[in-house]
Amino acid sequence: MAREEISTGNELCSMAAIDAGAMFFSGYPITPSSEVMHVASDLLPEVGGKFIQMEDEIGGICAALGASMTGVKSYTATSGPGISLKAEQIGLGFIAEIPLVIVNVMRGGPSTGLPTRVSQADIGQAQYPTHGDFASITLCAGSLTECYTQTVRAFNLAEKYMTPVFILLDETIGHMHGKAIIPDLAEVKASIVNRATFDGAPADYKPYDVPMNKPAVLNPMFKGYKYHITGLHHGHEGFPTEDAVQCEFNIERLVGKINTVAAENDGLDDLPDYEEYMLDDAEVCIIAYGSIGLGAYEAVNKLREQGIKAGMFRPILLWPSPAKRLVEIGAKFKDKIFITELNMGQYSKEIERVIKRNDFTTLLKANGRPIAPAEMVAKVKEMM
Amino acid sequence: MGTFKTENPGNQPVWINTSNCKACDICVSVCPSGVLGMVYEVTSTLGAMISINNPEACIGCSECELSCPDFAIYVAEKADYKFAKLTDDSKARQAAIVANNYMSLTEKGVK
Amino acid sequence: MAFNYDKYLRVNKMPTLWCWGCGDGVILKATIRAIDKMGWDMNNVCVVSGIGCSGRFSSYIDCNTVHTTHGRTIAYATGIKLANPHINVIVVAGDGDSLAIGGNHTIHGCRRNINLNFILINNFIYGLTNSQISPTTPQGMWCVSAQNGNIDPTFNASNLAIGAGASFVARESMIDPKKLEKILVKSFEHKGFSFVEVLSNCHINLGRKNKMASAMENLNWIDSITVGKKKWDTLPEDEQLNLLPTGVLRQVEQPEYTDMYEEVIKAAQGKRGKITQADFVKKI
Repeated sequence: MAREEISTGNELCSMAAIDAGAMFFSGYPITPSSEVMHVASDLLPEVGGKFIQMEDEIGGICAALGASMTGVKSYTATSGPGISLKAEQIGLGFIAEIPLVIVNVMRGGPSTGLPTRVSQADIGQAQYPTHGDFASITLCAGSLTECYTQTVRAFNLAEKYMTPVFILLDETIGHMHGKAIIPDLAEVKASIVNRATFDGAPADYKPYDVPMNKPAVLNPMFKGYKYHITGLHHGHEGFPTEDAVQCEFNIERLVGKINTVAAENDGLDDLPDYEEYMLDDAEVCIIAYGSIGLGAYEAVNKLREQGIKAGMFRPILLWPSPAKRLVEIGAKFKDKIFITELNMGQYSKEIERVIKRNDFTTLLKANGRPIAPAEMVAKVKEMM
Repeated sequence: MGTFKTENPGNQPVWINTSNCKACDICVSVCPSGVLGMVYEVTSTLGAMISINNPEACIGCSECELSCPDFAIYVAEKADYKFAKLTDDSKARQAAIVANNYMSLTEKGVK
Repeated sequence: MAFNYDKYLRVNKMPTLWCWGCGDGVILKATIRAIDKMGWDMNNVCVVSGIGCSGRFSSYIDCNTVHTTHGRTIAYATGIKLANPHINVIVVAGDGDSLAIGGNHTIHGCRRNINLNFILINNFIYGLTNSQISPTTPQGMWCVSAQNGNIDPTFNASNLAIGAGASFVARESMIDPKKLEKILVKSFEHKGFSFVEVLSNCHINLGRKNKMASAMENLNWIDSITVGKKKWDTLPEDEQLNLLPTGVLRQVEQPEYTDMYEEVIKAAQGKRGKITQADFVKKI
């Protein structure tokens, strides 16, 4: 069973958040993400949830983190400049292990950049949004349907791994209006993951006393388990510490609970971390994500019409990247890899890191305009 | 780790917890009746420690307890202890203690 | 038996890491006594603090406690309170925290009138970072970031809160803990954003280079710049200039934010019409 919604990416994202159990949104207006907030203002109070427009971007994430600390699923939405302002609080989310879904509808940067135009230049920012060591989880929606499904997934990953999770839309996907096939509500509800809780005696509760590579167990507040949350390094009970052994363990665990777990289990959950289109018999692999992936489907079709067996690899889980599959693609396609993205090569650098080669071809654009299938076709033909 | 002594150690008007005291002088300064004074104590960070010198003069106003930033001094409830009245002698002794740099009158008040 | 502080403290965190004679400890104690007077269940109390010496305030009270980032206390607390309107939230922040880096959240917390109990510990200095000028550092004092003397004009924090629309504004100093406790009880009882500016000392980082290097000298200086509001009102303007009035400076009944939000929920669920200007006495 599936549902049909005629809507925009931004709106589908907010609808998904509420279906996934979000009961709190706080944010600040910014183009091109504001519609995420508009829908939250409309739909959250309908289900008894809370919405607040804060005084600035920083307040927008603080209130959402505050609500989430108490056990209420929360999200915020912004664009690149907003993430820059929220950076310090995202760090508190990482170290204190507060689940939060952060929607970034990407526009051209740096600084105020190109507010109304498309970009994918916040990929690197999503990987390292703040100072210090941590590992980020970042999903990237490549269709209207994924604006919905990947937002649901972002909430589940945030609760499972006790961490802020980014869901990246780009301006094109966010403002695209059309029909989306989305899962039935009962199916969504059945997939919901809630954060683990400790049910023993309050005196025995140590929220951060967990083994290496496991997330903290933060009980909802006001239920008798009184504890301390801090952005300082903390011991098992949550109180500040500067103990060298403890601090080293904390950082190794923060990174390991995402990167090591993803490497060992080939991903963070059972859902696909990438999509492949006509890749099995392909002789050239186009790598694209987000709205550029939509153009790449057409490029693959056009190339095949012209006798070139093209295929596409489209990552959905950008961070941690689907490294195992990328290595296989690197080995299979050698120098017949074509990467196209709306930035100066931020994900190309990750692919270079993973496959340990840079003999691929790129088509990069950072002027606020999309990449047309014809441009991809022309570039691939040059390669062949 | 601090230990708390909200229990009266034995029919006292005022009692102290030296493991929490940081020798800031505030309790001595707010006492109206010259009950308290600092004494030299080489093992304390500031080289001094709170001391109760004239408990019999305590009027039970609790100013010392309320003004102590470190939960180091406690005063009995009025219902539990018969406190003294404020006398001219007490006031004079308090003035002398303040003039002695908050040190007990048995100490030479230089820190 | 004296007052049972143990019931409210994380006793294994004592002694506090604050300096000898630091007003933070006196304010902590007054807060605990005020909570006791209110009879609050500590399971339903949340204390939120920021960065600086006052940031450690939250770790000493045995309830749900959050030590947030620099300047953002009120924003975090707004989320906590809006998501859980039934609980009591106390927010503690210093003058640098809430008037400089977090000034925006302070004024909008006041404006929104959400039921937070905000305690501004004003010690006139950045203490933890070792004596830089804050928005309340008196002009002419010496600080490490004003090596030739401070020329920066000061904030009157309570006036700022009044201007921003806080429905309860009070100022008290920690030299009189009994009065402070009473003011805190009043602020806890008040429904809406309550702003309590507590004047406190930092003889270490403000006092040492400004002729008040001991706790008592610093407290005597605070005493010399404060006067009860009733008396202050009678003084000529030139005398008012260098004195800060203490006591309740403003208390009015205004719609509280989480109450108003309940109306939003009702409107969204069709249990009432949309909210319009007719719902408000003060419309602009």
